[in-house]
Amino acid sequence: MPTYILRRFFFLIFVLFGVSVLLFGILMTFSPERRAAAYVTTPQQAKDIPKIIKKFGLDDPFYIQYVRWIKEVSRGNMGWSLVASRPVGEAFWRYFPITLEMNLYAAPIVIILGIWLGTVSGIHRDTWLDHSTRIFAIIGWSLPTFLFALVLLMVFYGYFQWFSPGVLSDQLTMFIIDNPEQFTRYTGLLTVDGILNGRLDVALDAFHHLVLPILTYVIVVVALNMRVMRSGIIEELSKDYVMTAMAKGADKRTIHYKHARRNALLPVVTVAGQLVAMSMEGSIAVEVVYNRHGIGWWLAESATQLDMPVLMCICLFMGLVFVATNLTLDILYAYIDPRIRLN
Amino acid sequence: MGRLKFWLAIGLIIGLAAGMANAEVKNPDTFIFATYGTVRTLDPAVAYDTTSSQRLWNIYEPLIFFDGGHTDKFKPLLTTEVPTLENGGISADGKTYTFNIRKGVKFHEGQTLTAEDVVYSIKRGMIVDQDGGPSWMPLEALTGEGSTRDKDGNIVPGIFEKIDKCVEAKGDQVIFHLPKPFPPFMGILAYSASSIISKEWAVANNCWDGNIANAAKYNNPPMGQEPLQKIANGTNAYKMKSWEPSKEFVFAANEAYWGGAPKIKTAIIKYVKEWSTRKLMLQNGDADRVTVDNPYVPEVKEMKNLKFYEVPQLSMTAAFFCQKINPDGNPDIGSGKLDGNGIPTDFFADVNVRKAFLHAFDRDTYANDVFNNLVVMPSSPNVKGLPYHKDVPVYAFDLTKSAEYLKKAHGGKVWEKGFKMVITHNTGNEMREAAAMMMAENIMSLNPKFKIEVRNVEWKDYLVKYRSYMYPMFLIGWGADYADPHNFLYTFMHSKGVYGRYMAYQNDEVDKLCEEGIANVDPAKREKVYHRLQDLWYEEAIAVPLYQQIVVRAYRDWIHGYTPNAMLMDANEMLMNLSKQ
Repeated sequence: MPTYILRRFFFLIFVLFGVSVLLFGILMTFSPERRAAAYVTTPQQAKDIPKIIKKFGLDDPFYIQYVRWIKEVSRGNMGWSLVASRPVGEAFWRYFPITLEMNLYAAPIVIILGIWLGTVSGIHRDTWLDHSTRIFAIIGWSLPTFLFALVLLMVFYGYFQWFSPGVLSDQLTMFIIDNPEQFTRYTGLLTVDGILNGRLDVALDAFHHLVLPILTYVIVVVALNMRVMRSGIIEELSKDYVMTAMAKGADKRTIHYKHARRNALLPVVTVAGQLVAMSMEGSIAVEVVYNRHGIGWWLAESATQLDMPVLMCICLFMGLVFVATNLTLDILYAYIDPRIRLN
Repeated sequence: MGRLKFWLAIGLIIGLAAGMANAEVKNPDTFIFATYGTVRTLDPAVAYDTTSSQRLWNIYEPLIFFDGGHTDKFKPLLTTEVPTLENGGISADGKTYTFNIRKGVKFHEGQTLTAEDVVYSIKRGMIVDQDGGPSWMPLEALTGEGSTRDKDGNIVPGIFEKIDKCVEAKGDQVIFHLPKPFPPFMGILAYSASSIISKEWAVANNCWDGNIANAAKYNNPPMGQEPLQKIANGTNAYKMKSWEPSKEFVFAANEAYWGGAPKIKTAIIKYVKEWSTRKLMLQNGDADRVTVDNPYVPEVKEMKNLKFYEVPQLSMTAAFFCQKINPDGNPDIGSGKLDGNGIPTDFFADVNVRKAFLHAFDRDTYANDVFNNLVVMPSSPNVKGLPYHKDVPVYAFDLTKSAEYLKKAHGGKVWEKGFKMVITHNTGNEMREAAAMMMAENIMSLNPKFKIEVRNVEWKDYLVKYRSYMYPMFLIGWGADYADPHNFLYTFMHSKGVYGRYMAYQNDEVDKLCEEGIANVDPAKREKVYHRLQDLWYEEAIAVPLYQQIVVRAYRDWIHGYTPNAMLMDANEMLMNLSKQ
């Protein structure tokens, strides 16, 4: 297994190279003027576009620009983010924890809830329970995330004022700003940092601000997991070994939860893994509506403003995430199904 | 069950009412502004966007600032008196300005303001001259050059020596020596790029060391690497407490401010992109002011507990005719010939075509339908609020006249053969889209052989493409750098102006008048020049003036003290003036 893991990470270099060349090539299809225009915001500034092109070598051949970029990245310089007004690397470590924090709580809920609902739905096929969960799944999956987030915000913030947008209340934000020595940013995840700093109020307030985003994300995304699990359960329950076990007198609970569910897990693990990997890119709609400035929000802003260094950074990051995710999934497969061997 | 539903409904209504009721003032010492502009930099020599200017104008101070709602009258800040011809602060030839520097002013980090700080700040503001920055304004006024570098990026010989000589300190006085009179100079001194910084602090933070021989080293730093990008040390009523880029900016009151401590102790400017979120924050009192884009004005005006200000901006948007279109790989001109499937590159060089399009623009319907009449319909680029403004005639909406002009255009060939072209506007701008659609539909209604497509292009691409003469018509706007007709009329009409150039428009009388206007300090003479230019705008049918925007500011009604000023754009907020009760 260690050799297998090392070999997979070795291939990561080729994956990242391929992703970066592809994306760089796509971005090169924008003219030098267009890429220089990323640095100007008003017609007054536009007169300096030729100078910007010359200064940054934006009209150099593709391979020269690519090598220049690789050299800078190897020195740890991912470039400057126009959107964030700071170095890309520094901005990444400010925004990524916001996305990670939401996924840390949302992903287990999506997976566990999806498996549980799918199992229950599959076992009680064509009953009111099955129909209810399927309707819930269809509505959830069909709901535009943006619209659903706005509705939740209008109801629970606009009318009831039970929750509010953002990551932390103004009072606690000002406390942290006023007392930097009393609050250390260990991880960037406020729920975790609150506990590590002995400030339960900060952790709870941060979690309070996570309720609506998590709810939005879970309701929209859990449907896919649920549907896959349901299909898997139905397929397993129709197999001969289940009939044999029932004929031999095994109790339904053991058959359903110990045997059938486990066998139905593989596709669910695949889907869940891909969902978790994709979630690292951030949910743009959730982050924009709830004013949480994570990777999704940053990516959307950077794409519209053609903030190239950011796009390259996030693509490389996602390449890394998908390789790590697929490796994790392969290991899980081997654990779930002993017939699978890693080689 | 019915009774339960009834009481639930009552509870919901009460909850709604409670949510909407004007509860006590939230966060009484704090002003919260939710908007979506991002700050690029805090370096006064580099910042050239309205959002960054807002931060700078609250942290730093220039020598003078706009007096209340006036754009052409100033009040003293770091000077004790605004120089004028009458008090001798401005010399009779308009080339020397003398400022007496206020004493006893402290920077936030403790340094005391001196005349030397002022001289250093002004010089540094020109030496830095980053690409896309505001240095061209003081450079133009104080050296006669628009940049420290030529088009190849090489330093202009002798430019730093000119910078060194154009301003000096004499005791507590700062004296500016202009190469020629420059009437907008006072407006430039009020701009955030003219903010005064502490020389001692700046040098300690890797800024220019004050030695002109080393100026080239500090010229045009890479974006984000200007030394004062994220630090600030001003003299104004607010200090920067914290800045989380693209998230929030926190100001803290400077209790030792020379003008008296401000009433609002903390101000938080939050980046909130989504309109619905901003609206709910305003409704719940979690924001005292939010940015309201024009499409949302009607729904905001229905909200309770708010107060509104309608502020005309010193800006104008127009639809420009390119008189020499670039045909290389240009899909917007079709065949490139007057054969019914395209237009020739000089299509708009014929004044009859231009007049036809001008008569096809229905100003009244546009103002009513697109803006709900919350707009100023300009007659020329010298918009209302600028000195020497006058209302010149406009081409009234008249499709009969449009048809007449098109029948005359290009020797009758336009009407006979027909044409096909594209009008472009930047994506997401509904006002410009509506104007383009209106002209296209009205022109096409005259003759079935006329085909006009309206296309949208992303803003950054737009900025590039119109400068390549690719668009037969381009719709774009201009916001004031300073409140002077030169900033608009030169831009829109001179053959080297930002828009005049890209229309390939050339008129020697216009060029001469633009140059004469800026070189004259006599108001009577300037008025004559600029009135003639505004007349020429109409006579030459140069472009279609579309709109001068009015922005609506929405505040919670517990905020007081805001004074509208057309030079201070929507992103601006002068915190010192505000109180909350």
